[in-house]
Amino acid sequence: MAKTGFLTDTTVCIGCKACEVACKQWNQLPADGYEMTGDSYDNTQTLSGSTWRHVAFIEKSGRKRLTGDVDLVALAEGVREELPEGAEIDGLGRWTFMSDVCKHCARAPCQQACPTGAIIRNEFDNVYIQPDVCNGCGYCVPACPYGVITSVPEDGRAFKCTLCYDRQKDGLEPACAKACPTDSIVFGEVEELERRAEERVRELHERGYTEAYVYGTEEVGGTGGIGGNHSKFILMDRPETYNLPAAPELPQEKVGPAVAASAVAAAVLSAAVALAFRR
Amino acid sequence: MRENGRHARGSESSHHPGDSYYNIPPIKRPHWTWEIFVYFWVGGIGAGAHAVTTIARLLGHGDAALLRAGRYITLGSMVLSPLLLISDLGRPERFYNMLRILKLRSPMSLGSWSLFLFGSLSGLIATAQAAQDGLLGGGNPAARLARAVPAQILSALAMPFALFVGSYGGILLAATAVPMWARNALLMGPTFLASSFSTGLSALSLALKLGRWGEKGTHAALRRAERLALVAELGLMAASLAKMGKYGKPLYGKPLAPLFFGGTVLGGILAPLALLSGRESRPRGILASVLVLLGGLAFRYVMVEGGKRSADDPQATFSHTRKEG
Ligand code: SF4
Repeated sequence: MAKTGFLTDTTVCIGCKACEVACKQWNQLPADGYEMTGDSYDNTQTLSGSTWRHVAFIEKSGRKRLTGDVDLVALAEGVREELPEGAEIDGLGRWTFMSDVCKHCARAPCQQACPTGAIIRNEFDNVYIQPDVCNGCGYCVPACPYGVITSVPEDGRAFKCTLCYDRQKDGLEPACAKACPTDSIVFGEVEELERRAEERVRELHERGYTEAYVYGTEEVGGTGGIGGNHSKFILMDRPETYNLPAAPELPQEKVGPAVAASAVAAAVLSAAVALAFRR
Repeated sequence: MRENGRHARGSESSHHPGDSYYNIPPIKRPHWTWEIFVYFWVGGIGAGAHAVTTIARLLGHGDAALLRAGRYITLGSMVLSPLLLISDLGRPERFYNMLRILKLRSPMSLGSWSLFLFGSLSGLIATAQAAQDGLLGGGNPAARLARAVPAQILSALAMPFALFVGSYGGILLAATAVPMWARNALLMGPTFLASSFSTGLSALSLALKLGRWGEKGTHAALRRAERLALVAELGLMAASLAKMGKYGKPLYGKPLAPLFFGGTVLGGILAPLALLSGRESRPRGILASVLVLLGGLAFRYVMVEGGKRSADDPQATFSHTRKEG
C-alpha cells in the first residue's frame, strides 16, 4: 500500500475552519464548549482529544504604516514591486492561518512509547490508535513533541487524528481535505505530496516570498530520528509562530543510553551496599 | 470531553509575537495523578529493600531478621505498586494490555514487565518466608510446598528486574518531549535508583529498629550503606541540576522549590546524613530513616510535578528543541 498523508499549505488557507468542523462531524467528536479566549478569533486554541484539526489564527502587526494611495489589490495579489510612499508588502501586517493536525511521523514517538501496542501503523502507514486496545496509561501524551495526542478524561483513553482511516478504506479522502474550499489541505501519497510541496515552495520563492519553506521534512520539523512527517506544511514564518517545534527529537533515542547509565548506577550502588555489609 | 484540550497558559507571561502562539503550550503534559509519584516511591522502596537483602545474603550475611524484613517490605511494595498503577489508568479494567506485547523502545512496557516479574517472584519469595515463619501453619501441603520454594535462587533471579523497577521511573520520564526531563536523560534513571536504594535501606532499618530486631552488626551495616547511598543521591542530584540548567526552573520556582530544597535536599539527604554520621542511637536512626523516606516521596513528587510545569512553558520547549542552553 502506498503511504498517505497531508500537505497543508498555509499560504492559501482562509481560516474558514471548514476542516475543523468537517473533522468533528465525520468523526462524531463532541464540542469543546463555548470559551472565548480574547486572544484572537481562534477560540479552539489547540489540538486535543476532541479536536483533531485546529486552525490557528496568527496575527502579526505590520512593521510599517501604509500611507497615501496604496493599491490594495496589488498588495493582496502579492505584487512585490515598489509601492507608493515606500510602503512595504508586509505593511498591513499579516493574518496567517494554519490548519494543524497530527504529523503522522515516519517514526512516531507516540507509537514507540505505547506499551500496549494500541498505537500502530496501519496499511496506509498512518499512525492509528486502536481504541479497543488503549488502556489510557497516558504515556503517549508527553512523548509527542508536537502536543497532538491527548488524553480525554471523560473517556480515559487518548485520541488524535486517524487520517480518516475509515474513509481511506472506502477510497475516500479524509473529511478535512474534502471540505477545504481552497485546497489548502491536500490529501495524497506522501511522495506525490513531497513533489507538490517542493514545486509550490519554488513558485512562492519565484514570486518573491523567499520565506516559504516545507515543515515536516527530516531537516525541519521531522528531525532528530523522527524521519520526517507524513503530514507536511508550507509555512511562511518561524515554526514557533505556528506553535510548532523547530527541531524536535525522537524521545526514544534516549532509552538505550539511559538504560546503560542506570545499569552502571546499579552496579556502583550494589557495590556500595556490598562494601557496607562486608566490613 | 471538555477539559482535555484546554490548557493552563504557559508560566511565561511575556508574549513576543512570533515566538509562540498566545503562550499556549506546544506540548501536552501527562494526566498522571498522585498515584504515579506515590508508585515511583513505593516501588522504589521495594526494589531497594530487595536489592539490599539479596546482596547481604549473597555475601553470606546471615541475619534472619534482615531477610525477613526485606522480604515482607518487598512484598508489601509489590502488592501496592500495581494497584496504584492500575488505578491511574484511564481504563483500569484493561490493565492486562500492559502485558499484551513487549516493546524494548518503550520504558513503560519494560517497566510493566519488570514489575510483573519482580512482583511475582517477590510473592513466591515472601510465601516461602511466611512458611518458614510458620504463618502458613505446620504440616499442611501448601505450607510444605511453600517451604520448598528456592527463595535464595529466586531472589538472585529477581535482581535485574528489581533494579530496573528502581530506576525506570526516571528513564520513563526522560524519554519524553518534556524539556526538564529530557534534558537530564542520562541521570534520571541513576538518580531514581539512588533514591530507591536510600529509601529501601531506610525502610529496612526503620522496620528493624521499631521491632528491635536484628543483630548489632546488621544495624551498623545498614547505617554505613545508608550513608553511602545518600552521598550518591546527593551527588546525582547536584549533577542533575547542573545538567538541567535553565530547564530545571520549575524546581527553583515558587511552589516546588521549598519542597525540593527543604524536603528532599535538606530534610531527605543532608539532615539524615548528619544524623547518621554522628553518635549512634536508636532515636537518631529512626528519625534519619523517616526523613529519608519522606524526602524520597518529596523527590518523586517534585520530579513529576516539575515536568508538568516544564511542559506548560512554551519557551522551554522551543529553546529545548532548538538545542539552546
Ligand atoms: S505528531 Fe504526535 S500524535 Fe502524531 S504521529 Fe507524531 S508523535 Fe504521534
